[in-house]
Amino acid sequence: MNVERSSSENERQAVSRPVPVWMMVFSLLLVFWAMIYFDQHSAWCSPVVYKPYHSYKEVADHNPRNEGPDIAHGHEVFNAICSLCHGMDGAGKLGQAPPLAGSEWVNAARVNRLVRIPILGLNGPIEVQGQQYEFTSGMTAVAASRQMMSDKDLGDVLSYIRQAWGNKASEVTAQQVAEIRAELGDRTGQTTVKDLKQLPEGK
Amino acid sequence: MRYGPLVFLSAFFAMGASWFGFVLMPHVQVGFLQQTNTLLAGATYPVGRPGFAREGLDVYRAYGCASCHTEQIGQTATVCDVVLEKVGTNQAVLLNALRNVRPDLSETQAKSLLDQLPQTVLQGLPKEQADENAKALSVAGSKATPWIVPVGPDIARGWGKRRTVAYDFLYDYPVMLGAERIGPDLSNVGVRQSDPNWHLRHLYAPQLDVQGSTMPPFRFLFEKRKIERGVSPDALSLPPELAPPAGYEIVPKTEAKALVAYLTSLRADAPLFVAPLSVAAPPETNAPAGDMSSTNSPATNATAK
Amino acid sequence: MTTPLPSQPAAATGALRHVPDEIDFSCRLPLLVLFLSSAIWLFIGSFCYLLASIKFHSPSFLASPAWLTYGRLQPAANNAVLYGGVIQAALGVALWLLARLGGVRAQRVTLTFGASLWNLGVTIGFLGILAGDSTGFSTLEFPRYSVLFLMLGYLVMGVCGAILFHKRQRQRTFVAQWFILAALFWFPWIYSTAELLLVVFPVRGVGQAVLAWWYAENLLTVWLGLVGLATVFHFVARLLDRELHSYYLALATFWLLILFGGWGGIPVTAPVPAWMPAVSTVATMLMAIPLLAVALNVHGTFAGRFAALKENVSLQFVLFGAATLLAAGVMKIAGVLCDAQQELVLTWFTSARTQLYLFGFSAMAMFGAIYYILPRLVGAGCASTKLARVHFWLAALGVIFLIVPLAGAGIVECFGLQNVKLSFMDVLKSTLPFLRVSTVGYLLLLVGNALFLLNLSRLVVEFYRERAAAALAIATADLFKQAEAKA
Repeated sequence: MNVERSSSENERQAVSRPVPVWMMVFSLLLVFWAMIYFDQHSAWCSPVVYKPYHSYKEVADHNPRNEGPDIAHGHEVFNAICSLCHGMDGAGKLGQAPPLAGSEWVNAARVNRLVRIPILGLNGPIEVQGQQYEFTSGMTAVAASRQMMSDKDLGDVLSYIRQAWGNKASEVTAQQVAEIRAELGDRTGQTTVKDLKQLPEGK
Repeated sequence: MRYGPLVFLSAFFAMGASWFGFVLMPHVQVGFLQQTNTLLAGATYPVGRPGFAREGLDVYRAYGCASCHTEQIGQTATVCDVVLEKVGTNQAVLLNALRNVRPDLSETQAKSLLDQLPQTVLQGLPKEQADENAKALSVAGSKATPWIVPVGPDIARGWGKRRTVAYDFLYDYPVMLGAERIGPDLSNVGVRQSDPNWHLRHLYAPQLDVQGSTMPPFRFLFEKRKIERGVSPDALSLPPELAPPAGYEIVPKTEAKALVAYLTSLRADAPLFVAPLSVAAPPETNAPAGDMSSTNSPATNATAK
Repeated sequence: MTTPLPSQPAAATGALRHVPDEIDFSCRLPLLVLFLSSAIWLFIGSFCYLLASIKFHSPSFLASPAWLTYGRLQPAANNAVLYGGVIQAALGVALWLLARLGGVRAQRVTLTFGASLWNLGVTIGFLGILAGDSTGFSTLEFPRYSVLFLMLGYLVMGVCGAILFHKRQRQRTFVAQWFILAALFWFPWIYSTAELLLVVFPVRGVGQAVLAWWYAENLLTVWLGLVGLATVFHFVARLLDRELHSYYLALATFWLLILFGGWGGIPVTAPVPAWMPAVSTVATMLMAIPLLAVALNVHGTFAGRFAALKENVSLQFVLFGAATLLAAGVMKIAGVLCDAQQELVLTWFTSARTQLYLFGFSAMAMFGAIYYILPRLVGAGCASTKLARVHFWLAALGVIFLIVPLAGAGIVECFGLQNVKLSFMDVLKSTLPFLRVSTVGYLLLLVGNALFLLNLSRLVVEFYRERAAAALAIATADLFKQAEAKA
């Protein structure tokens, strides 16, 4: 009868042969490929990038552009430029600017007159909500050229003003601003309330 | 390795890395997701499923529907169409621009195209090209927009308008995405097949409406009962070979109705920032709305690129 | 505690008789429980798989009872084979290896208790799935109420195994010991994480799916891979009476398997941010390195000894297992590299690969190990080598008849789904012929598993019968002596 006694002394250790060099080279190449693949396809772990997009920019590009005015952007522009005289709350500042909140010029249904005010500036007396205002040297033309304020920015800020502080009026698009600027052409020099009232309120 | 602790430490480190990468990070990114807004319309998405549909999700789980059906579709690319929506003030200028952009159109064809707006003028373009062409067509007050269209085999097959994303499953428990497509994908079945009666018939006798289907009949979700005070509105209408004997009707149990409520609630086609697609806006002018019967894009006579 | 050996038992064959020593005695009861239970569960699981497969050819086959519907039968079969069959067998082999390589006696009663708890958990879970309480997560379908038994059973066995390692005779470890030790720690970690974050305090939304995929990948690729590779490395060397070809290749395999193995589970269609499938793809590709290391190691150890292969059934099983491990790895890598990856991943191809891993690699490696271990435990030669050989051929053919058609079905389905002109029903019909052949594969596997169960049962029954006879002889020896004295 053949017997075999087992014990752990019979177990053999593995031979200390090294890993073949070609395998190490292959592994390194694979790691290199892996890094490139990760760089190209993972958007570096962004939570908003899903396949087939490769980067946040690609996703943002493929989102349909919002065509209307950007109220939030208009608010920023307002804070940066208009609030200096008209106040952050649109209530105007004594000796500097009339209020915008509740102003019938702001809330007019059509914007032909309103848009010209920042483009040309305004001088002379103006009545807002039954009160007469007149300021030395009037309002500067803060949007005299596209370099000073683009069509879109002006549309945005006017849209913002027309729905802030209780105002309830429609938006102003960049297109509308562009049309009015085209009509004004090269004209400079502040307008007055008398001139504005001779124009139609809007198309 | 000579020492036990070293083995344990290496296992611990590898385990920790794996846990960090695929348990913690997904939890942070996906597990704490909140509702988002759809594009353009700004509606909240997703809204939780109605209660009956949630019960149906549980029935879906209990009968292992995910063994045969998936609820995930992929998308291989996103292309852009150019859609001309409004003519504007100067038709002649627009015609010119249109024929520039579509040299294959004759004068009469272009004129008739302008009569049937909105129309897809170009298809399958990359984004920059679509933007350029849309700008070229936006002359004299006319409106041409690039239309975002996800593409892929699943989408082409009609299983959805865009890929499924994490937001589509935000309020579900358990999320059963499935791994085999022994039956069609169900992520948008509520859009494809919104008739609950079709689903009930399909559960009772799948081979009735789908020839050669390998789906097993789920007759135990229905009961045969005597017609007492008139035929129940829930009773299934079956062909003679499957109909119950005279005086009896087949009605679905609550489980079946819940399951069907869940199935008809399945849709994943809202446009989101992470999965953009263009959908026709609700008509606000007196321009005719696009043809919405089959796809999202308006009618087209464009040559596919 | 030792029992007296039968003096000249009438063994089945006159093959090399093994005299069990203390370690074998200590292992015998728990391993008998584990191996027999795993054989039973493999049989039950294969039977359920066969029933599920037949449903494709006749959808109304067994469709009336709710508990036999495909959606319950298939997960039940999967979990029975995985948790009841393969994991139990793997645990048995792992514990034996720890005891044997460490030269330490196993904790007989505690291990048996742990094994019984595990079996109880599997039974409750299996019945729970059929009753409709499945959790809904793939590979983790056992309902909540069975989890505690499974976890406790494993912990008992795992702690015993860790103690076995700790009390080992030699400081320097063998290759198989690292793999098994890592595996011992791996399972409770992934299991408790998965159960806690999916069932007890569920994470929100798609995070559940990611976690379920993570768990499945860690269980299959890492845990089964660790124990399976321990088995392969140990037994190839042992059965050929050689040393393992390269220590450093084994070390590389160990490190790379635990580092990359658990990351490969997220399919590319998943509704998750792109980095998760990208990382999975990268990890799958990087797994090519440990697979290559395994191939080199096994090939180097085997070194063309086909004569030994012909004689030794265990070696046939173990090498078949190693070969299918490599085949499964190649399938997975091919799956992520091909252009049609999006469509392929949700077809039969992935299922084929998982089945190859389960039935081809894990089960076969464990069969080989069990055919070696069990006769040694009960002090018999390899009882019924003929049955074992038939089992091998049935299992090998079963695997081939199962996997090749399923993979073919997957590829056909992938091309079909990409072609929009084909309706879904047309695509389905084109896969049906392949599925018919795979049913044959399931049948062969079932018969093979039945033979395995038969073989083990005979071995065990004969052993206990001999012991009973010997005990009877001893007990009645006095009577005979008195009778002789009287006569």
